Amino acid sequence: MNVPRRLLAVLLAGVLLPAGCGIPAQTDVQVDGSVPAGEAGSLNGPPASPPAPTDSDEPVPFIENYLKAAAAGERDQAYTRAQKFLAPEARELLPGKPQTSEVELTVVRLRAKESTPPNNQGTSRVTIKVQQVGVLRADGTLGPPGATETEYVFQLRRAEPAGTGLLITSLPNVLLTTDTALRQYYRTRTVYFWNSDLTRLVPDLRYLPSSVSAERRVTEVVKWLAGGPSDWLESGVTGLPDGTRPINNATGADSQWEVNLTMPGANEGRLARLGTQLAWSLPELTGQLELKIQNQKRLSVDLERERDTHLAYPRGANPTRFSVYDGVIHPLAIGTEQRAVVPLPAAENRNVVSATLARAEDQVLAALVVTGADRRLRLKVGTGPEPVAVFNTSDPKAGFQTMSRPTWLRSLATDHPAGLVAADGKLYRFDGTATLSPVPLNVSGSVVAVAASLDGHRIALVSGGAVYVAPVSVEGGVVTLGQPRRLPTLLTGVTAVDWIAEDQLVIAGNDPDRRSAIHQLSIDGGLGSELKSGIGAAVTQLAGYPGGGGGGLPALSFMFETAGSAWRNNPFDLVTPEQVLDLPAGGRPANPTAPFFFY
Amino acid sequence: MLTAPLPDPPTASPRRLRAARALWRALSGRSTRFAAGVRQAWRRSLQVRVVTITLVASSLLVGGFAYLIADKITNILLENAETDVRMRLSNGSEYAAKQFNLYSQPQEAQLQDTIDGTVNYLAGGDPAQTSGVVVAITADNFAEFIEPRVSPDVPVRPVIGDELRATVASGKVAHQIRTGTLGGDRTKYLVYGSPVPTRFGQVELYYLVPLARQDATAADARATVVATGVALVLLLGLLAALVTRLVVTPVRVAARTAQRLSAGLLDQRMVVSGEDDLALLAASFNQMATNLQRQILRLEEMSRLQRRFTSDVSHELRTPLTTVRMAADLIFAERDEFDPAVARSAELLQAELDRFEELLTDLLEISRFDAGFAVLDSEPTDLVPVVHRVVERLAGLAERVGVTIELDLPDAPVIAEVDPRRVERVLRNLVGNAVEHGEAKPVRVTLGVDQSAVAITVRDHGVGLKPGEEKLVFNRFWRADPSRARQTGGTGLGLSISVEDARLHGGWLEAWGAPGQGAQFRLTLPARAGDRLTTSPLRLVPADAALPFGGPRDGGLLAIGPGSGAGALAVGPADDSARMEVGP
Repeated sequence: MNVPRRLLAVLLAGVLLPAGCGIPAQTDVQVDGSVPAGEAGSLNGPPASPPAPTDSDEPVPFIENYLKAAAAGERDQAYTRAQKFLAPEARELLPGKPQTSEVELTVVRLRAKESTPPNNQGTSRVTIKVQQVGVLRADGTLGPPGATETEYVFQLRRAEPAGTGLLITSLPNVLLTTDTALRQYYRTRTVYFWNSDLTRLVPDLRYLPSSVSAERRVTEVVKWLAGGPSDWLESGVTGLPDGTRPINNATGADSQWEVNLTMPGANEGRLARLGTQLAWSLPELTGQLELKIQNQKRLSVDLERERDTHLAYPRGANPTRFSVYDGVIHPLAIGTEQRAVVPLPAAENRNVVSATLARAEDQVLAALVVTGADRRLRLKVGTGPEPVAVFNTSDPKAGFQTMSRPTWLRSLATDHPAGLVAADGKLYRFDGTATLSPVPLNVSGSVVAVAASLDGHRIALVSGGAVYVAPVSVEGGVVTLGQPRRLPTLLTGVTAVDWIAEDQLVIAGNDPDRRSAIHQLSIDGGLGSELKSGIGAAVTQLAGYPGGGGGGLPALSFMFETAGSAWRNNPFDLVTPEQVLDLPAGGRPANPTAPFFFY
Repeated sequence: MLTAPLPDPPTASPRRLRAARALWRALSGRSTRFAAGVRQAWRRSLQVRVVTITLVASSLLVGGFAYLIADKITNILLENAETDVRMRLSNGSEYAAKQFNLYSQPQEAQLQDTIDGTVNYLAGGDPAQTSGVVVAITADNFAEFIEPRVSPDVPVRPVIGDELRATVASGKVAHQIRTGTLGGDRTKYLVYGSPVPTRFGQVELYYLVPLARQDATAADARATVVATGVALVLLLGLLAALVTRLVVTPVRVAARTAQRLSAGLLDQRMVVSGEDDLALLAASFNQMATNLQRQILRLEEMSRLQRRFTSDVSHELRTPLTTVRMAADLIFAERDEFDPAVARSAELLQAELDRFEELLTDLLEISRFDAGFAVLDSEPTDLVPVVHRVVERLAGLAERVGVTIELDLPDAPVIAEVDPRRVERVLRNLVGNAVEHGEAKPVRVTLGVDQSAVAITVRDHGVGLKPGEEKLVFNRFWRADPSRARQTGGTGLGLSISVEDARLHGGWLEAWGAPGQGAQFRLTLPARAGDRLTTSPLRLVPADAALPFGGPRDGGLLAIGPGSGAGALAVGPADDSARMEVGP
């Protein structure tokens, strides 16, 4: 354009000024650049492949597949997956939920399956006998069972066209799944909540579909933490402030993570505690985690260092094995495991029936069940630096017929040690002076065993042949028990219990075949497995080491006493007198009893 | 103000038509008058021209600059908004990509929740507390799995154009300004779209930012610029008017003074104030006027002296001439007693004395004219007897030279307010000249009259006049052929006096002549004394006069075009090649 024409254009534009400039009402599309395409591919590894209705045309496997379907994948589509097994006319029997947070899976443990063969119309009927295990909720907790049914009936017909499998025409109107499906399609995860003193972290067990990618696990954990602890644990721990909720997903990869939260009253202390919670709740992650509150970067947590510097709870010392031999506590020598000496003066180490030794910082807590001259049982408690010098014995006038192995609540301050013991069917609390005071307990039956977890805020107890767990809160040296929760297990007549892992109990009782067996049971009763069966007699003592695979012991190590002799696992073997150390010369031969771990 | 006519179907249409025509005529007439007025003002007033040119040029210039400035401001506002949104979009896209990176399948259940959460997060979290920015995430490629989400929840589909959607869907970051209604008023939106790469494909993130604030700011800026520009233009116009006035007023004063000077008020002078250029002009003007006045007065004085001299000489000559005359008359009366040679001398003396007397009379008459002493003694006069009297008086001369005088007079009396003595003198002069130069051919005297004028033509068929001599014949002492012998004792002042007589009446005396065709003189006088003449009742060029080029060919056309002299028309036979006919 030459100059005069441009000038003319400018002048013309000047005349048309009011209409000519200003923000136009519409412009052409202008391209600013391009964005590279995302990396395709799956994060989840092999995605959960839910069983399909066509996988089997036999009634019982078909129903088994149906029971798996709800668990085989994410909760949101559980109804969709289950409804694929239903005949169109039966779909309204299993209506979905309007909110995904309302989708709950009723978990049952199959005890028996029966089916009638197809009749002339091609319909058949499958009856399953079940034990109610619990309700898998949106927050990944397995709550106590809401239903009491022990039997469910399904009606089936052939799908059309013939030869394409079966369809369910009648079914219970709950979304059922089995514990095996839970085990197959879910992974347990432990999240941690602070106790009421904000001194220790208390583990809480959750279930997460295994199809959830590693990246999303962070989001789920944050949601769980924000959502608060499991119902049964609620009275013993402190959740995050009300109104805490994640803002969208936690993002990141490799060693850089970012969590954005809304948290009313977020201060340094709360954020630091949340950082510790996250570090422990995400044990597989390393690297940095950025904590943002309302998009403001507030805290950066090095997950690994956080776990190193802030223990969830004291782990005690490396475990060593002891047992009672001829009324005296002796260390055991198993394989190449670390050996120890008895941290008690020999004068006090007499007439012992069972014992518990625990380390609390530099102190040793000792609680011994001893037999008095009147053949009655009393509790002898001694605390102090090793070797423990001062011992107190419970009221000499009051003896007990039976007394379980005592357990120390490790959460207490060392100057106010406290423990629990079951004696004559009741639960007692004791302290450093061996004063026994009964603990009111709202469960039926007589209490025969009690065990405290390593964190000291949860106990497992056996009452009336059933297993219970309960939270323990300690306020001002007063021990209060929360409402115990009964755990469903296949074992009946449970006699002993102890902790074998953070979230796992080891229990001894009778299996459905009425034989003595030892089972492992998750703390919500959802996952149970047999550890040892075919034990000839009832298990009278059971001691586990819950500290995981550390300290020279294999994971899930436990010892038990049956028929007057002590056994151990890894591998299963009798504890022989030869393995008992420091035996006095010329003692009469006996079997070691009441084995336990000192840690 | 026009009022609508009452409805009258049968006649409404023509009436309306007439009204419209009348209105149109009135309007066009008014606009024509207005245009004429404008044109006149434009032509007459330097001030109007300067102010108009200043206004037009400055408004164009100021308008141009105002446009540039307003455009620049708008562009800056838009650029800022675009940069801001681009940054937000980039951050938002990055955030969304991180959020969606957790999903490898579009049908994953949590994805929709994540999209909801992301949209809300990007829109600022609280949907109630909106800044007007609308964030939308759509997944055109996965419409069956993913619902589009908008925060705050308004229908954005109409505002996001198809072209933009297609561009963004093809993996490009793009933007567009669109106008639409999202919840509230109709607003311009800057729509920015970016693809968000995910593991399962691509979703699209849109930011819709209202441009109401920028629009208002741009409008403010525009209004300010326009107001400033208008004020500037008006100021410039005012300035131009003032400056022009400063210059034009003295020029007008000078023009008026010059007019007065030219009207004879020689003592008019301009006021000289200050020492600037205009003062110099006024001083120079005054100096020029003084010099002119002095010169004019000197010339007037000289002229007056000359005329006085002529008059004095004439008077002074008359007294001795009277004496000489008396002596000559005595001698002439006694001539028969002298020998023939002396008698012949006496006759000659008598004749020359007659001429001398005539000459003196004419000179005195001329000097009266020159001195401005000639007074018109008008009275209503019938011109027909005047003509008869003149012809009778010259009948002897005509008979002597063999010229017949033809008269073409109206039957009715021709009454005009004239001085009969002067008219008679003029006619005598004209007819005498015609007889004298008639070469024995008839002389025709024609009297014509119309409402405002009377005219007398005298036509002869003598040698005629050469081109250019029509004006010269009225000069004093002019002779067509100085060598030609004078048959009558003309003084050479007759036609000059006749012209002065005609002029004294407010009339015209004109001559026409062509060599070989004779000549015609026309005297035109106003019918009432003091009236202005516009036309003459008779033609100056006689009807029988041949055209200078010999007349048109038979059936041919006449071409009329510009002549050789200034203001002259050339008439000649038309060129066939360049003919233009005038229609009836």
